Amino acid sequence: MRGLSQNWAVFRESRIGMLGLIVILLFGVFGALWPIMINTVWDPLIYHPVVGFDPMLLHPSPPTKAHLLGTDPIGRDILAQLMFSTGREFLLGVLSALITVVIGTVIGTVAAYYGGFTDTFFMRVADIMMLFPFIPLLVVVGSMVRLTFFPFAIILGVLGGFGGITIILKAQALSVKVRPYIDAARVAGGSSFHIIRAHIIPNVLPLSFLYMMFNVTGAILSEATLSFFGVLNIDMSWGMMIHTAEAAGYLFDFGKYWWLWLPSGLAITLFCAAFYMVGRGLDEVVNPRLRKR
Amino acid sequence: MDPLLKLDDFTMHYRTKAGWVQAVDGVTLSLARGQALGLVGESGCGKTSIAMSVMKLLPYNSKVVRGRILFEGRDIYSMTDGEVRKMRWKGVAMIFQAAMNSLNPVYRVGNQIVEAIVTHEPETSEEEAWARVRSLFELVGIPKERMYHYPHEYSGGMKQRAVIAMALACNPKMIIADEPTTALDVIVQDKILREMDQIRRKINMSMIYISHDVSVIAEVSDVVAVMYAGKLVELGQADDVFKRPRHPYTYALMRAYPSILGEKHELATIPGEPPNLLDPPSGCRFHPRCDRASAECSKADPMWREICPGHYCTCHNPVEIGGTWVGQVRSGKAADGGDQLGTSSNS
Amino acid sequence: MRRYVLSRLGQVILTLLIYITLVYFLLQAMPGDITQMYLANPKVPQAAREELRKQLGLDQGVVMQYLTYVKNFFRGELGVSFSHYPRPVWDILMERLPRTFVLFLTAHVLSFYVGYVMGRVIAWRRGRVVDYAATVVGITFWTAFYPLLALVLIWIFAYTLRLLPLNQFIEPKLWQGAPFSANTVFGYMVYGGGAVAIGLFLIFYAFLRGLKRTRRNVALAWLSGSVLVAVALLAASRAGLLVYIWDIVNHMVLPVCTLTLISFAGTMLLMRDSMLETVQEDYVMAAHAKGLPDTIVRDRYAARTAILPTVTSLVLSLASSMSGGLVTETMFSWPGLGQVLFHSALANDYPLATGALAFTGVFLLIAHFVADILYAVLDPRIAYTGQPAAEG
Repeated sequence: MRGLSQNWAVFRESRIGMLGLIVILLFGVFGALWPIMINTVWDPLIYHPVVGFDPMLLHPSPPTKAHLLGTDPIGRDILAQLMFSTGREFLLGVLSALITVVIGTVIGTVAAYYGGFTDTFFMRVADIMMLFPFIPLLVVVGSMVRLTFFPFAIILGVLGGFGGITIILKAQALSVKVRPYIDAARVAGGSSFHIIRAHIIPNVLPLSFLYMMFNVTGAILSEATLSFFGVLNIDMSWGMMIHTAEAAGYLFDFGKYWWLWLPSGLAITLFCAAFYMVGRGLDEVVNPRLRKR
Repeated sequence: MDPLLKLDDFTMHYRTKAGWVQAVDGVTLSLARGQALGLVGESGCGKTSIAMSVMKLLPYNSKVVRGRILFEGRDIYSMTDGEVRKMRWKGVAMIFQAAMNSLNPVYRVGNQIVEAIVTHEPETSEEEAWARVRSLFELVGIPKERMYHYPHEYSGGMKQRAVIAMALACNPKMIIADEPTTALDVIVQDKILREMDQIRRKINMSMIYISHDVSVIAEVSDVVAVMYAGKLVELGQADDVFKRPRHPYTYALMRAYPSILGEKHELATIPGEPPNLLDPPSGCRFHPRCDRASAECSKADPMWREICPGHYCTCHNPVEIGGTWVGQVRSGKAADGGDQLGTSSNS
Repeated sequence: MRRYVLSRLGQVILTLLIYITLVYFLLQAMPGDITQMYLANPKVPQAAREELRKQLGLDQGVVMQYLTYVKNFFRGELGVSFSHYPRPVWDILMERLPRTFVLFLTAHVLSFYVGYVMGRVIAWRRGRVVDYAATVVGITFWTAFYPLLALVLIWIFAYTLRLLPLNQFIEPKLWQGAPFSANTVFGYMVYGGGAVAIGLFLIFYAFLRGLKRTRRNVALAWLSGSVLVAVALLAASRAGLLVYIWDIVNHMVLPVCTLTLISFAGTMLLMRDSMLETVQEDYVMAAHAKGLPDTIVRDRYAARTAILPTVTSLVLSLASSMSGGLVTETMFSWPGLGQVLFHSALANDYPLATGALAFTGVFLLIAHFVADILYAVLDPRIAYTGQPAAEG
């Protein structure tokens, strides 16, 4: 295993990955501005992302000095919504991706280490999970129980965790398991738990981390899509912002009401693309074969 | 008559992050029609780089710094892409180091050979091409119904033969065999080498054998070239080089291999490691490992000189003792003595 | 090969059973038990309720209920829709399935082809401007917020430029007084189009397979291909179908293009990565050494073997692209399986929603099965060992 600084050096050579990282950092700064703005500059009564209202204007109002990105059909500031949602998207994406990756890594390494029934069982489960049309399923489930933020993030994470990622991580763990030092550790009397924790998992982690990036993208896009269709019970998110505009019928005159959909739509795309690009950059670190010779 | 292939002070470097790797440095040699040249040296000494240079298959980070490669008198580095394609396989064919992997796994073996024939001889119909594959398979000893099989259905030795059949498909003027038998077990290796040698002589084709294994080279070569750290250190008739090695490196290399038929001698290792070609030693590149090194060796690069007729060497202090039989020299050779001088009479 | 197909088929059937079971118990676990809702829905008349109660086996235990459900599923008795009362769910789904199938298949074939061709090019020109540009553009579309992208495209092409019709499956005005129903025409279209596609494939295969790609054969293939298409079009216009078919096709363009745009990058990037690996293989070097033209080395050697992992992940991503299909149908009001699923879910039409969900699974499984077979055809090593061969 190479050191962190060496990996960073390889990552830095990937232009796509660096581009993604810069965009993520910009989003981070943008999201961090929210608590500052609401506590200092903005009046919470007017600028609250969910219950704010500006009585001075007709809504939806195009961008003005007071509302740099305009207001939505019920008088809330778009910029404030955008900023507020940024942090929540980070939370949702990273939380659900983390759950997915933790489950996937544990199952993958355990299945690879023990083989036999455990292996067969989890691999069949993953096969079935991969066949599950999640969005249609969540549409049906969501229409029955309106999912709120945290349950939704957890469901998304758990469903992903038993899926295809276990197969990929298991393959990686298997390739680690057959290396001589694992036998050496076993001969030296290391317990199974110790070998998995100290030898196999550290070698699988880079790949897990890579898939975490892709899973962030997937989670955010799922949330946005389901929010857009109005089957989630989340007070504010980028998908909700577009849903609000669509539900109020403003998306039929697209060009005229651009501020209702463009900022949030762009934010979703940029944010997801950025994580995806970082994932591809990491891919070049983890898979040496992709690197330029 | 012009030699078929001529390397003229050929120098090629690879660009890496750490700097320029001087992979091939000032190599001059020529190959006559019908001649078999053995190129021998440790791994990483530039043998394969020479093969790739001749095929013009160098990676993007390589650079020809100096010199030329002439094939039938034409500089291949000033040929157009189309001309190079024509030269490949019809002029020079190649058997790759990992012959096992040089077959496309998703096409039938026969198809891959037919493809080569049809590409280079558009006037040949597909049926004729298949007929030729059949006779090639007979020649290399694979049952002919095997040509409709996929590579994964072949055994290792059979793949090797198929690759040889493929190299012969367009009747090339020469074949470069880069470690053609390294992946095989010794028995099969020996058999294939003999067969290749027979075919070569039958159709009077030139051949370059590349190997780190002195015994392989000894078995099949007319002329032997020894490389060390990107430079040619010794060149001469196989008998001369193996019986009377002049360069200390060649001498050491001979001593490092056991001889089955020859006298018993202790196997010697060469101390030290091959030099880093990013920053090769000054003077003679072998001097840090050489037991005959003198003060001069670390200062001046030794000249390429003809020590005795047809035997070249670059050394300030060449080995003087003659007549030490250290290698096993081509067992078949004694039987047909005329071939021994074949190269000189040819050229 | 036969053993491989049979074992795959067995796996598919087993997975289908598990899937249906999961859907069943998932809905059982929902608050406000599905059977209760069935019985409580005011749209369902009293007389029908007793029938339903019996059919669902509500008077029996849980296990029997489940078995009844499975039995009913395989007999096609999925109950009666609330929102389309009294149409049986089966009828509705059977009407919608072909539409989803056509949209899904067209868009996927197109997006796979575009992704394959572009991935091939950018891998071959790695590190050049075209590589970076295609990667960034591809990722942007790949991660674009899909419903919004659909809206933007509708707005540009249908609303502003008026190049294509707005949404829906057909243009109602045109079809008033038409001698055919939309479904009949669609049926002709699917069968006719399928026949033409198979015909074209056979023609091109016969003329251009492997090494036969001479100029004369290419010309012949194109010639007979165009004759076939012309004959088909002529037949359609003689039957008076052409104008209606054209209408349906027109309505398909935008959803298909949108779906392609959003999904080609997946194939493209995979193809690129996979090909970066195969270009380092010895047989690619050997192909160069053989003096084969550059494009042949690229297509028949590097790309041909690189396509295999791409197909694998295509299989793996079928489920998520099905989700894309649902969004497409909803956004473009394309009356297929996805739209039914979405509308019925929002209208609390549970029989229809579960039916649609189960059918989505069946559809996916069939697609999965077909892709598996395709994979075995593409890689001769598979049917031989039953496992993808380890590379290298």
